[in-house]
Amino acid sequence: MKKWVVLFRKEWLEMSRNYKIIWVPLVFILFGLLQPVTNYYMPDILKNASDLPEGTIIEIPLPSSGEVLAQTLGQFNQMGVLVLVLAFMGIVSAERKSGMIKAILVKPVAYSSYITAKWLSAILLSAASIALGMVASWYYTGLLIDPYPFINLVKGTGLYLGWIVFLLTFTVFLSSRLNSSGLVAVCALLVSILLSLSTSLLGKWMEWSPAQLTTAASSFLVDGRVEGPLFLPLVITGVLVVIFLFLSTTNWQRK
Amino acid sequence: MGLAEVNWALVSPLIGIQVILIIIALIDLSKSERTNGPKWMWVLISLFVSIIGPILYFTIGKRHD
Repeated sequence: MKKWVVLFRKEWLEMSRNYKIIWVPLVFILFGLLQPVTNYYMPDILKNASDLPEGTIIEIPLPSSGEVLAQTLGQFNQMGVLVLVLAFMGIVSAERKSGMIKAILVKPVAYSSYITAKWLSAILLSAASIALGMVASWYYTGLLIDPYPFINLVKGTGLYLGWIVFLLTFTVFLSSRLNSSGLVAVCALLVSILLSLSTSLLGKWMEWSPAQLTTAASSFLVDGRVEGPLFLPLVITGVLVVIFLFLSTTNWQRK
Repeated sequence: MGLAEVNWALVSPLIGIQVILIIIALIDLSKSERTNGPKWMWVLISLFVSIIGPILYFTIGKRHD
């Protein structure tokens, strides 16, 4: 346990050295703030961007605060997932490439603690960044549009984090198996896109899919209740996370 | 919408975050020996590509080894 804490702290030291600890949260806060602001100023933006004839009246109904927060979540699911996957694609593979992993594993530490320390620190940083981004979005939405119940924000964001934990676990798994960080990013993003697409297109067949959690989260943010399956995707996501985490800690390369 | 009508209380946090991201990107650039692609290009991108410039550097430009 003591060794695990040392590895865990090394991970945070690393993330503060390469500024991940600052820029990842800032990126999410920035996107979180931008969403309500663009919604609020949308009529002005359209007026300035297009060459409409003098006197054109643009009337866009202001979305409800829940809809704005769901849009923020959608933004996080595109730009945010891209940023997180690119930030953590080399989490194991880059250290293997640079030989760092050998320097660590000659010491008497278990490979599984090395991986789980990395996994947990990546998840904590990402979850904190998304939570901060959602709170920032919630604050601006409250100022510009309508106050929104904070407890619903917490619940909706919590549901969404299930999907993020799954994606990050999968990224760590790929990173522990593949040598090229670029390939890790491509595979992780492909899986994320394919799962999201198939979940929205083949709703009936994909009720188990972890991507259902994003649908559940945004419908919760808009209506205050979840439409569609919830229990099954939560269980499946939990099971998949455990499986992929287990697979990444089994080190077949050293045998 | 003129400059006077911009709600600065609303916009200044956005600009602040943007500036912090640019500064961190530049500090990191000055410390790192090599980047993916020429360094001066990343300096320009971080400075002038609005909003996503520094993010692009951190995610694509930075060498992680």
